[in-house]
Amino acid sequence: MTLQQERPRTGPLSEPERHYLSKPDRVREDRRFVTGKGRYVADLIRPDTLHVALVASPHPHARIGAIDTSAALQVPGVVAVLTGDELAAETEPLRQYLDVPEVQWWPLAVGSTRYAGEWVAAVVADSRAVAEDGAELVVVDYEPLPFVIDPEVAAGKDSPLVHPTHGTNVMADRHFAWGDVAGNRALADRTTTVRTRWNRNSTVPLETFGVIAAWDPHRELLDVWASIQMPQFPEQVAGSLRIPTNQVRVHFDVDVGGSYGVKRGIKHAVLAGFLARRLGRTVALIEDRSENMHGGDFHGPDRIFEVELAYTDKGDITHIRIDVLDDEGAYPGRSPLQLAKPIGAIVGPYRITSAEYHAKAVVTNKTGQVAVRGFGQSPTNYAIEAAVDAVARDLGMDRIELRRRNFIKRDEFPFRIPSGTEYDSGDYETVLEKGIAAADLAALIAERDELRGKGYLAGIGVASCLEPGGGNAIFENIMNPKNDKTTFPEACRIRVDGEGAVTAVISISSAGQAHETMVATLVGEELGISPDRIAVVRADSLSGFPSQSPVGSRMTIVLGQAIHGAAGELKNKLRIIGAHQLGLPVDEVDYRDGAVVSGSNPDVRLSWGELVAIAHRKQHLMPPGMQPGLEMVHVAHTPRSGTLTSPEGTVQLYPTYSFELHLVLAAVDPGTAKVELKRYVVAHDCGTVINPDVVRGMVYGGTAHGIGVALYEQFAFSPEGQPLTSSFMDYLLPSSHEVPRIVDVEHCTPSPYTSHGQKGAGEAGYMGAPAAVASAVNDALNGVGAAPLHSLPIKPSDIWSALRAAEQESS
Amino acid sequence: MKPVDFELHRPETLAEALELLAEHGADGKVLAGGQSLIPLLNFRLARPDHVIDLGRIGALRAIRRNTDALVIGAMVTYHQAERSAAVAETAPLVSAALPHVAHQGIRARGTIGGSVAHGDPAAELPAVFSALDATMVAVSRRGTREIAARDFFLANLVTALEEDELLAEIRVAPVPARTGAAFNEVGRRHGDFALAGAGAQLTLTDDATVSSARIALTGVSAKPFRATEAENTLVGQRVDERLWRRAADVVRRDVDPAADLHATADYRRDVAGTIVERALAAAAARALGNRTGSMEATG
Repeated sequence: MTLQQERPRTGPLSEPERHYLSKPDRVREDRRFVTGKGRYVADLIRPDTLHVALVASPHPHARIGAIDTSAALQVPGVVAVLTGDELAAETEPLRQYLDVPEVQWWPLAVGSTRYAGEWVAAVVADSRAVAEDGAELVVVDYEPLPFVIDPEVAAGKDSPLVHPTHGTNVMADRHFAWGDVAGNRALADRTTTVRTRWNRNSTVPLETFGVIAAWDPHRELLDVWASIQMPQFPEQVAGSLRIPTNQVRVHFDVDVGGSYGVKRGIKHAVLAGFLARRLGRTVALIEDRSENMHGGDFHGPDRIFEVELAYTDKGDITHIRIDVLDDEGAYPGRSPLQLAKPIGAIVGPYRITSAEYHAKAVVTNKTGQVAVRGFGQSPTNYAIEAAVDAVARDLGMDRIELRRRNFIKRDEFPFRIPSGTEYDSGDYETVLEKGIAAADLAALIAERDELRGKGYLAGIGVASCLEPGGGNAIFENIMNPKNDKTTFPEACRIRVDGEGAVTAVISISSAGQAHETMVATLVGEELGISPDRIAVVRADSLSGFPSQSPVGSRMTIVLGQAIHGAAGELKNKLRIIGAHQLGLPVDEVDYRDGAVVSGSNPDVRLSWGELVAIAHRKQHLMPPGMQPGLEMVHVAHTPRSGTLTSPEGTVQLYPTYSFELHLVLAAVDPGTAKVELKRYVVAHDCGTVINPDVVRGMVYGGTAHGIGVALYEQFAFSPEGQPLTSSFMDYLLPSSHEVPRIVDVEHCTPSPYTSHGQKGAGEAGYMGAPAAVASAVNDALNGVGAAPLHSLPIKPSDIWSALRAAEQESS
Repeated sequence: MKPVDFELHRPETLAEALELLAEHGADGKVLAGGQSLIPLLNFRLARPDHVIDLGRIGALRAIRRNTDALVIGAMVTYHQAERSAAVAETAPLVSAALPHVAHQGIRARGTIGGSVAHGDPAAELPAVFSALDATMVAVSRRGTREIAARDFFLANLVTALEEDELLAEIRVAPVPARTGAAFNEVGRRHGDFALAGAGAQLTLTDDATVSSARIALTGVSAKPFRATEAENTLVGQRVDERLWRRAADVVRRDVDPAADLHATADYRRDVAGTIVERALAAAAARALGNRTGSMEATG
């Protein structure tokens, strides 16, 4: 493992001046997680809590008739049974982000059930086991209805309708054309079109979703502890429950056991909150793995792509067309917005000056989809990279050479892509060279050829991909022009108490992203105080400040900006206090490592302790009119945000663009068609690194996740609409046996638009690994004249079939 | 995923266990490590009123060598058997199969008898014991019964054990000299139930002719599968690569795999042959290197 940190060329802090930023340092969260002392939502359940179990629909689509709850209610310990009709009578439907008013969604099915596994009734009991006993006894009268599982069928005219009153299964259908499409097509000598299938997978967290809700009728306050990673969570829960937002207090000091997008849980929290209010008791809904896998609505993108590239005989790509059909499952919710984010990186790292994009979202009778790591970017990267490989095959050109030739060059940044987004910075060629050096490409090729000589199929995979960072909300506006939201803010409070100790307060929960380390490092860097001495705590949603959720690396980028702002305001106040006390003009003093110092004579200074004492309890020494205390809150917007989509469909999406290059060597056993990854190198550039171990962890974990997508993971359904992946026996997560040693090489091209030059890293590895592993398998197949595979996951039997087909063709 | 309410019994002796089985066998389940039963309970697929845990009965945890058999107690863990020199010398095919059973953590708790009594055709040991003509010793308050493996595994997850009977031990005849064994399997991931698994055990004469062949397959049939026809093509033949290929083709003809999410039936059929071929080649190589069988070793 190597980690090389380049000195930044630009940015507000050049490396020699840094004390803590980018330096190897402990990750403060690790201790509690490694020793098993994390505090997850299920750890907070008190003895008097009621537990919820769900009655799930066995049918993919059925009208719900009578629901007989009498037997369930007779089970000793069962307190209540709630049906969809009762819930819908007193709550607002869950939020839809598209303009689809006819699509009504509640935590429990109302009228009809639209996928197998959908929750139909909730049973509340003294214990989870008793609640399950009760759930077995709820008798639901179902009348099966026609259903649709295949998204292409769903998009057709004669399909059964998932939401009949909407009139079609198509929920969004957006066409875009940017740049000189006709002119660029005319420049090309050839075109290649590749159809790719990204089957349904997800980030599958170790901890399922859980929520505890408690209603205090005297204070009129709903307390919520939940395993969440969800923007606008308190607002949406309050809205559905028809109570003011200031009566919902969401606690963020709860560890979240994995998420990468999927811990949304609005429906769970509305259900638990409703039950808590109705029963006047504390209610816990902790999904079991079956509820999570079937009814948790956390599946990820499920897409069919068609990518067409137009290019010259020399290999200059002139135009890209991407058509994508996304299967949202039964309720579209927030998931179709994931079709918009890739618009901000629609040409990948390539200098392509025109693009067409046709994004269509359909509903089917499957479990709902939700945001997953990268918000639609990794599937798009995979589709683009598969097409780039196909161009190389068509031209007989080296795949790396083709990419290098088409890369945006380092002196072309900021680079405006045809969809209107400016890439902030990058040096793709240097990262490529670092990857080639780390992998020792010549040796890698020799090893591949040696394996081939031994009778193995062997291939090298390559992928060069972008990770948009910063979590701008403009995709809501792109997919639904009626929604004119452009962004959402993040905030941080820095407080220096009367004894001079520094505490940073944030109001989000974290799912293992090491935000406490990040915040302490940045506050420490800004103030010149060791991060070890800085406390980081989490306010709840009422005592905190505008803050959304750790999505799209927003914490590093937007919260980082807020920290920079709050620290700047704090230092400014200290300078005014110091200058006043020293009798100097403010512009003649500096803040340096906790003290205010005269710019001309470093011996003239006021120490931290003296500054704190004046601010807190020596009013007579304060500048006249200045507010006492040292409390600074800064609310920051996403950098480069604040503009709507133009009428031409151009838009600045995310503010920063990280880059990664993958090189993989795969061997395939010709007898069993099993893939073994022999070597794995990632060269990665996310601008200024805050903590090297955290970035490395993201790269490793994201790559492992991507390997899972490429070779193992799928939420599959039978033609009858039944889920085939009911447990971890069938949903195959890669283990340490399947994930090879990953070599990570870092490069740093700072972003000119962020507080410290940082970019996103939360989706690192995952952005390129599915494309790279598929590329390696296809190189192996190509080596024996077999056709490439373009559907993930690639199973041994898929490779075996491709090999048999090639044999038959040649014989 | 909480089990239906049940009563847990934890007998200290075999006699106590048999009493409990006589009383509750009809609506009871035997817990022998729990690597299959506990998930079945949690999924509510098994709904017994009584669960009888054999974990405290030390007498079932022994591995013994008699003059005519290796005797494996039903509560011997996979891990214990994997590390046993007696098993390696006497029943090399069992030894070869054990590392393929799931993961270390499961092998530490799961038991040999638990796997056999569960009778899963996708599992390694039922197929291996079938191929080895092992004897299953069943006990009940009524007495002791010896059941040949071929009569023991009746269908998918169905064995010849009666409701009041307990599998107490498994007996395997020791191998002669010039015997070698190998086990191979293909799963989508390490430790998964195999898409296809194959074990082979060969005994050779001094002039490298196959005198005895045993071939076990997992995941390719509704019952633990012994490839008898393929074995027959080998006996009396000289060790030869082409011979393994011929046996593999017989296996491809005889197996009847099903398709599922993870692989097509055609794939499983073809790969079953491939890994049988590989297992035979490896077993033959070991047999050629193994001059002393366990009979001599044990005197």
